[in-house]
Formats: sequence, C-alpha cells, structure tokens
Amino acid sequence: MFKYRAEITKGEEIRYISHLDYAALIERAFCRSKLPVNYSEGFNPRMKMAFASALAVGVTSDAEYMDFELVKPLCQPEVFERLREALPPGVELLRLCTLDGKHKALMAEVDLAKYDIFVPLAGTFLEAQRAVQDFNAVREFTYERVTPKKKREIEVKQYMKLPITVSSREDGLFMTMAIIIKPSGSIKPGELLRVLRESFGMPVDEQQALIYRRALWGQGKPLIELIEE
Amino acid sequence: MVKLEPKILQAVEKPARYTGHEWNAVIKEHACVDCTFALALPDVYEVGMSNLGLKILYEVLNQRSDTAAERVYAPWTDMEEKMREAHLPLFSLETFTEIGKFDFLGFSLQYEMIYTNVLNMLDLSGIPVWAAERDENMPFIVGGGPCVYNTEPIAAFFDLFIIGEGEEVISELVDVFIHWKTAGRPGGRRGFLLRAAKLDGIYVPSFYEVHYDEAGQFSSIAPLEEVARPVIYKRVIKDMDTVRFTEKPVVPYLDIVHNRIMLELFRGCSRGCRFCQAGISYRPVRERTQERLKELSRTLVDATGYNEMSLTSLSSADYSCLSGLVDELLHDFHEEKVSFSLPSLRIDSFSIELAHKMQQVRKSGLTFAPEAGTQRLRDVINKGVTEENLLTAVSAAYRQGWKSVKLYFMLGLPTETDEDIIGIAHLAKKVVDLYTAIKGRRGVKVTISVACFVPKPFTPFQWVGQNSQEEFRRKQQLLKENIRDKAIQFNYHDARVSFLEGVIARGDRRLDHVIYEAWKAGARFDGWTDQFHYEFWMSAFAKCGIEPEKYNQRERSLTEPLPWEHTTPGVNKEFLLREYHHALKEESTEDCRHGKCSACGVCPNLGVRVVDWGDADV
Ligand code: SF4
Repeated sequence: MFKYRAEITKGEEIRYISHLDYAALIERAFCRSKLPVNYSEGFNPRMKMAFASALAVGVTSDAEYMDFELVKPLCQPEVFERLREALPPGVELLRLCTLDGKHKALMAEVDLAKYDIFVPLAGTFLEAQRAVQDFNAVREFTYERVTPKKKREIEVKQYMKLPITVSSREDGLFMTMAIIIKPSGSIKPGELLRVLRESFGMPVDEQQALIYRRALWGQGKPLIELIEE
Repeated sequence: MVKLEPKILQAVEKPARYTGHEWNAVIKEHACVDCTFALALPDVYEVGMSNLGLKILYEVLNQRSDTAAERVYAPWTDMEEKMREAHLPLFSLETFTEIGKFDFLGFSLQYEMIYTNVLNMLDLSGIPVWAAERDENMPFIVGGGPCVYNTEPIAAFFDLFIIGEGEEVISELVDVFIHWKTAGRPGGRRGFLLRAAKLDGIYVPSFYEVHYDEAGQFSSIAPLEEVARPVIYKRVIKDMDTVRFTEKPVVPYLDIVHNRIMLELFRGCSRGCRFCQAGISYRPVRERTQERLKELSRTLVDATGYNEMSLTSLSSADYSCLSGLVDELLHDFHEEKVSFSLPSLRIDSFSIELAHKMQQVRKSGLTFAPEAGTQRLRDVINKGVTEENLLTAVSAAYRQGWKSVKLYFMLGLPTETDEDIIGIAHLAKKVVDLYTAIKGRRGVKVTISVACFVPKPFTPFQWVGQNSQEEFRRKQQLLKENIRDKAIQFNYHDARVSFLEGVIARGDRRLDHVIYEAWKAGARFDGWTDQFHYEFWMSAFAKCGIEPEKYNQRERSLTEPLPWEHTTPGVNKEFLLREYHHALKEESTEDCRHGKCSACGVCPNLGVRVVDWGDADV
C-alpha cells in the first residue's frame, strides 16, 4: 500500500459542520477524484483514512491532517491535483507528502494545538486582561466537564503549553492559546473560554467566539513536516 | 444579502442547515439573469434536500443561462425565533438573497400537514400570506407537487399552481415571465397571470369563483376570465429518456433523510390499489431504458461521490428490466464500492432474491405493505396479494438471513369489520411463527405499522366517510388487545393528525381561514409529532365557524359536485365510480402495465401511453 499525508483546511464555508460530517465529505471527495484509495477488508469496506484530531462544530482550521492509502503508487503532483479538484468549497489542500516506511498514527503524533480566537467583549478590556492574567498565574485549576453521559473533573493547567495572550481588537478580544494534547486527553478552547468567564470573571459570551485552529504540531513541528525529510 | 452573525448560528441546532456552500450548488450573479426562482420545500433542510422533484427542477432551471434557481427550506423553530428577534428575512442558500427579492417562490407541496409552514415561510420573507394582498414588487408564489389534486384549501395563498409534472412547464412559465418582463410588465401582476393561465397545466385560482348551495355545500367553480379553462389537466412527461433528470445534485454536508443518489427508474404505478392517490395521479407507467439508467448512474456517481444509490419509483420491483439492471450496476460499480437499495419491495420471492443480491451485508429490516389483515379486505382495496404470497416472501427472507420484518397496514378502510382488524394481529403472528418453524428458534422482530385511512381526491374512495377519531382509537385498542406475542411491535398513527389530514385533503376554499388561524395561533411543522398542537386547529375551526366533520366524515353522494375536480390527473370519474363498485363487490382489477387497459382515461385524455420495456423483448 502507498501512504500519503495531507494538510487541509476547514474554512468559513463549513465552519458549522461536525467532525463526522467533515470526514464524510472528504470520503466523497476521494470518490469523485477516482484516486485508487484503499479500503478495509470485510463485508462493510471502509476507506482507510485517519485524522489527527477532531474539530468541533463552529471551529475553522488551516491545520487539519489526514493519512490515506492508495493501492497504486501515483506521483505526488497527480494525487495533489486530483484530490484538490474534488474537494468542496471550504476545504483546501495545502500540502501533500508520501509517507514511506513506518509511521505512528497521526493521533499518536499530535501533541500541540494552537488557536486564535476572536470574541466580542461584554465589559472592559481591563477586566478581560485581568481574568487572563489571573488564569495564567494559578498553578492548578479544576474544571468539571459535563457531557450528556457523565461528569468528569479535569485539571486544566496541565494542558497549557504557553500562557494565554489577549489583546484588544475592534469591539472584542483577540486571544491565542497553545494547548497540549496528551494521549489521555486535552481541553478545548471553548472550554477554556468558559472557565475564564465562569471562574475568572472575563466579560465575554463564549457562545459568540470565533475559534480558528492555526496549527497542529508534533514534536515542535507541523504534523506534515514530521515526515518531510 | 442576508448576513448571519455567529451569535445566531452558534445558538441554534445544526447551523449548517442555513450556511449553504454545498458541492454542486449553483451560484449565479442575479444581475446577469432575467429570472430568479427560489425553490422551497416547506419543511426542515434534511427533509427538503431529500426531495427528488425539486432536485430535478433546480437543474432544469439552472440549465438556462437566463435563470438562477436557488433553494430555501423552513427554518427550524429555534432558528425562526432568532431570525424574528434579529429581524432577519428568509434567505436562499446559494447567494443568501432575501426571498422577497426573487421573481418566483415555488413550494413543493408534499402533504397537507405542512401547509402552515408555507404561510410561515411567506411571513418570514415579508410577503403577505394572502395572494390578493401582494404588490407589484413581490415574487409570484407557485405551488406544485402531489397536493395539487386538491389545491382549494390553500388556493388563496398562491398566485398560481403547476398541475402535474413540472420539468417542461416550469421552463415555459419562465419564458412567459421573461417576455412579460421585457415587454415592460404590461398589466402588472394580473397581466402576467393572464399570460401564464394560457399555458397547459397552469391554474390561477384567483381567476375562478366558487359557488355554494343553500345547504352550504360546494356546488360549482366557474372561470371569471376568458383564459381560465374550466378544467386543468396535469402535465405529463411522454418520454422519460429524453427529459432532463438530475445529473449534478447538490451534495449536503449534513446527514439528510435520503443521503444518497436517487435514481428514478420509472414514473407511475398502475397496480390499482384503490386507496392510493399516487397510483392515479402519476399514471401512466413510463419507464426509462436500462441504457439510460446505466448512463445516469455513472454520471451521478461521478458528480456526487456518493457510494450509495437508491433505485426509486413508486414500486421499484416492477421495473421490467430490474434484474438485468441490478446485475449491471453491481458489476459496473464493484470497484467503487457503491451499494444499491430498493426503497419498496414487492411481496414475492423475486424481490427477496434481489434485495439479497443487493445487500450482501446488512440484513436490515425488510418492509412489506399488505395494507389489510384479511383477504376479503385486500380484495376490496385491490391489493393483489394473498397471505400465501406474503408467507412465501417472508420465508425466503428468513432463509436469506433477515431477522426483522416491518409490515404496513391501514385501519378504517371501507367495509372494514372487527374481523379484518383482528386479521392484522393473526397475520403478524403467522409471520412470527414462520420464523420459529424455519429456524427452529425464536428471535425475529416483526413491526406492524398501522396508519389511519385518509380518503383522498381522485381515488375510488373519494366519496367515503372517514372513521371518527373515537372509532380509530377503538380499533387501535382492539388490535392492541389481540397482539399477544412479544416479538410483535405495534406502532400506530395519531388519529388526530389523520383526522386533520382527512379534513384538509377533501376540503374546499373555506378552509383557508382555518389554516390561517391555526398558523396565527402558532401551528408549524404539524407533521412533526413533537410540534403538533391539535388545540390550535380546533380553536381555528371554532373561530371560523366550520365543522370539520362535514369534510371528512360525511359520506358524499356519488352525484354531488366535488370541489377538487377542476385540477385533474386526467382520470375519468366513471372509472373511479366503476372501481368503487368493484371494491364493494370485492372484485379485482388488472394492472394495465401488462394486462388490459382498464380505461381509466389518463392515456387518451393526456395523449400519453404506457412505456414498459418488458414487452419489448418478448
Ligand atoms: S388509460 Fe388504460 S393504459 Fe392508460 S393508465 Fe389508464 S388504465 Fe392504464
């Protein structure tokens, strides 16, 4: 089998689709491209395809990664062109590499995600700045993640690679976050915003935040550069 | 252009319903076309996007360089609330243009319980719901789809209706519009409608006047204008091979109701079930050739990237070359892993073998529709299926590995007795026991889904009184008491919804105020169980001083004029009467597809004929 890794985007046009729908649209794009993709064996064959990290509804990204397999070795420019043409609005193919030799699964390689966030301000910038400073200063913070199925306590600070930054932009806040992804889990930028509002008094409504994933790294590099040499 | 703020989108369920940009969506600059046409289905995105008729019309219109067609669906209640709060008008999914700025707004009318959504969408677009109150700058509101065989309860909300199949006439309508527009819009709105009314298949309800007799019953409908014809026959496509089919359907990002390719094998079904309106209104049977279907399936797979295709028709298993077609498709698309399915199965082993061939893997439930519990009642409705047919088909299915069967039935059919109802329970029990007999163990699941019969216009049962709600409930209870096996799951319809359907289906123009009042009270998405408010409708009837039972429960005289007869699928009333009498005598009528013509009138009245390629190779 011949493996490839692609760097793709999730643009404004498809901001509000789920990760599952995103994966499905990529599969359909592969079908349209007529690339000879490899399928799993068995009665219900699935396209062999893996993503680095799921992206939530409402989040855009310039750093999505997927690995896929072809049953024939096609040269990179041909694969690139055929896939690019078949992708729908909102998904751009940025880079594509062949994956030779042994590689860890994408999921196992990713360890850092960087986000840019814009969120309208419902108070003063000073209040917001203080909230971020206070959050950056605490050593530990426990957040209760509530899902429809269960509640779980999560220590948040273990996931902060760098302090959160905040600056004033138009009538809102521009923030950056660098979040560690561990095999055991991670925290979402939306959850951090919620912590900042609920526990540190940041005057924002996280429901209105526009979140953008700028980078997804492993060992200090974008995931696609891990294999480029 | 309507701009949707994140604060709105992030506060509603499934925001991708409203953000467009799908693959194959056609985006045109409105300044560069002569006609803009918004195509609406008055239900939520996932339902609207699954409608085949609109997909076809979308392409027919967009194929024209002078026309832009765009889609719009009903915003779900959460989105409606946000839009009203923010004073956002309803918009199209391609260019986010306000619907009020289009030249046309066409609604596909699939069933009666969605009429309040039409009013709501008009209102959200800033368009008066009553056609008479619209001004020169507003779109023409067009209705089409299966509900046009009684347009009267909603006639006052529409400027015009397309009766029958729309592929050809919609383009003729656009031609007339562009002519009228380039001529400087002579005569204004009315001027256009006068021109449109000359087209075959176009019904302009405001050009007619309805009369009622002293007893308050419908007596006649008369044209007010010279161009208005006393009877409007449906439009019908003569050659299914040459007419445009959808070739580049819009591929949604969200999972929709039918998230797959729909390949229409043929139109029409002449098996002649006497309760079935579609069986009359889509006559005659017209097949596509196997060659054309192969070609279309290739085009569709390449254009969409779907790996699932449904071979659709009213009764797909009746396609004359089905076996050969399925073999070819399975072969052609083997590499691409495309899977195929049949939405409806005939009750015979041929169907089971085919379903088996097509679905090697998942033996998901099989669905059959015996419709009635005894042979006597099946003879009344001309459902040419015996208990033996059903049991043979089901045993074939069990042998092939199926473990779940779904059976459709109806309560309240004409001449029904309690014995017929108990017959449903007995039949279901036999289907369960058959599994044990064949497999030597239990483990089957049999679901019986039981609807309440709604008599429909242009069927042999158009005169009969519908059961009352109490009667339906008594029958549901009776059936429930007779089901004792745990392997049988019993689902039944809400009698209140069927009651309303029954009233509107055979209603007249006086019901428009009821629909209006129900909508005003808050009725929307009435077809959705969790959104349905019976009380809104009951107070609307009371407010308008209308007794709904007069519309659905009254046994109509065979000679009285009926309020829907001027928009017709072309069937002769004598045929419907003949069929009604056959029903009462439990006599069957042959399928004209292979058997002899039963002289329903559709072919001679419309100048069409049956197209079935099965006869071609004998
Ligand atoms: S006119 Fe005859 S052949 Fe044509 S649809 Fe009616 S019954 Fe069938």
